[in-house]
Amino acid sequence: MNFGTAVVFLEQGIATGVVTGGVYALLAISIVSIFRATGVANFAVGEIFMAGAYIALYLLAIVKVSAWIAIPVTIVAVFVGSAAFQLGVLRTVHKSGGPINLVIATLGLSYLLKGIVRQTGFGETPRSFPSLVPAKPIMFGMAHLTLLDVAILAAAMLIMAGYFLVFGYTRLGRAMRAVGMNQRAAQLVGVNIGRMNTLIWGLSGALSAAAALLIAPKLLVTADMGTVGIMGFAAAIIGGFSSFPGAIIGGFVIGIAENLVGLFIASNAIAVTPFVMIISVLVLRPQGLFGGPQEIKKV
Amino acid sequence: MSRTFVARAALGLLAVGMLCLPAFVTGYVVYIANITLVYIVLALGMHILTGEAGQFALSHAASYGIGIYTAAILNKFAWGVFPLPILAGGLVAGVLGLLIGLVALRMRDIYLALATFAFGQAMQWVFLNWKSVTGGPNGTEIHPTSLFGIEILNDKQAYLLVLALTAALVYATLLLSRSRLGSALRAVRESEVAALAVGVDVRGVKLVAFVLSGVYAGLAGGVFTLFSTFIGPDSLGFQTTIFVLTMVVVGGLGSVTGAISGAVIMSLSSEMLRSALSYQEIIYGALLMGFMMYASGGILDLARRLWRRGSLPANV
Repeated sequence: MNFGTAVVFLEQGIATGVVTGGVYALLAISIVSIFRATGVANFAVGEIFMAGAYIALYLLAIVKVSAWIAIPVTIVAVFVGSAAFQLGVLRTVHKSGGPINLVIATLGLSYLLKGIVRQTGFGETPRSFPSLVPAKPIMFGMAHLTLLDVAILAAAMLIMAGYFLVFGYTRLGRAMRAVGMNQRAAQLVGVNIGRMNTLIWGLSGALSAAAALLIAPKLLVTADMGTVGIMGFAAAIIGGFSSFPGAIIGGFVIGIAENLVGLFIASNAIAVTPFVMIISVLVLRPQGLFGGPQEIKKV
Repeated sequence: MSRTFVARAALGLLAVGMLCLPAFVTGYVVYIANITLVYIVLALGMHILTGEAGQFALSHAASYGIGIYTAAILNKFAWGVFPLPILAGGLVAGVLGLLIGLVALRMRDIYLALATFAFGQAMQWVFLNWKSVTGGPNGTEIHPTSLFGIEILNDKQAYLLVLALTAALVYATLLLSRSRLGSALRAVRESEVAALAVGVDVRGVKLVAFVLSGVYAGLAGGVFTLFSTFIGPDSLGFQTTIFVLTMVVVGGLGSVTGAISGAVIMSLSSEMLRSALSYQEIIYGALLMGFMMYASGGILDLARRLWRRGSLPANV
């Protein structure tokens, strides 16, 4: 590979990586939101994402409603489903068990969702998603993108901006941050912890559903598409697992790394990239690339 | 008759029944018995690490796979003399367990789960791509192991060896949980700080748990090669780890009888559902959720609680 080609590859890899990275960042924020508030790693994030894509596909392809109805209905449905899981399952698990039991319950949810979707038979012929924006090519320097790519990235940025406005500047957001810092102290100043945890699960589900709606036109919708959730985990871990800005940067790092590995190393090495990154970050720098020194909890 | 006498008699009858099994049933039933025994060993390995020592690791399928491939390589190059391949599988997986343990000393709870999950997935990728050893996605043939110059060719011939090895490992696990080391493992699970305070070498004890868990999984892999003729990377991924986790959860985290009964229940039910992946996923998922919600002590504990409720007045 000569220098000129390498530069073109690099630009292309970064441009494509930024687009998918925006979606991974949404998943990472979804994971981090739950982890900060409740200390649970949601192993079902990929399957909640997959369920979102399926609901949307069902509405668009079978019920045949317009996208302007399908999008909000999907997001609301996944919000309600995730909140119901917290309310109906996790609260009961929490009464008798610790963090590991909660994680096992989310693993259970991930398998349950996968099995249900597979059972509908709707996933046997992988389908692609009808897209709202045409895939008209656009050039950025020497990199090829499409109008759809630009729309995906713009929408992801908008969603993140909206989430941060709510989080940073509203009463509700302040209550959610308080829960993340210290549950008992938040309770003392009048935050209803139970309701807040349910709400956070709902919001986190809605973020995963939004990620699914954005990336689905570029992916095949199958029962196994939840593996994308791993990208979200990799992004969250790179960012330190409890930092929102870290999660966003992590999303872009993973998106770009995945593409560059595909272009410069080998296409079959893409699959192993997130795992290698998760392991190396956890082993070498457990606080993430951007986190400060680790907090030590008192016993 | 005392209760211990009844229990011993039942155990004796079970042992005789298990020993005579191949004389009465078809090869397929013996195959199910063999695979169930392998799952018992896998579940015991997870029981030691997660149930006893409280370390939630999700790389069990990787150690199992390492055991299988190590044994398969020995068989292929004429080193397949019982019990050499099985011991080699246990040894290599044990070394791997030591490495995981050394890294895991730096992590806790969820970080450990994530790192070992990623490690398991990365190993499956290696199994998929290291074509000269594993045959890539198509899998590879496993050559037979020989015993006293006779090749072990089918399930019935392998059965007694599989049964003996499993029984030995069950016994070893029981001894372990009654030993000082067993108490040390549980002390680490309950509170590392308290364990340190009473003089438990927490790091050492954790490493031992990781090594033992790896050795058990590797031995299970080696035992698998005794009766199986094929291995593909599809059966060495995260779903296998989840399958074993479901066994340990259904049986009850932290008890040897729990791990064994969970392994028996789950492998028999999965054999019945073999053709329907979606039902398997739904059932494993529902079981993991349901047991965590209402029976985190496992099925034996649940039965005991229901029994007590039935035999006592409702207001007690």
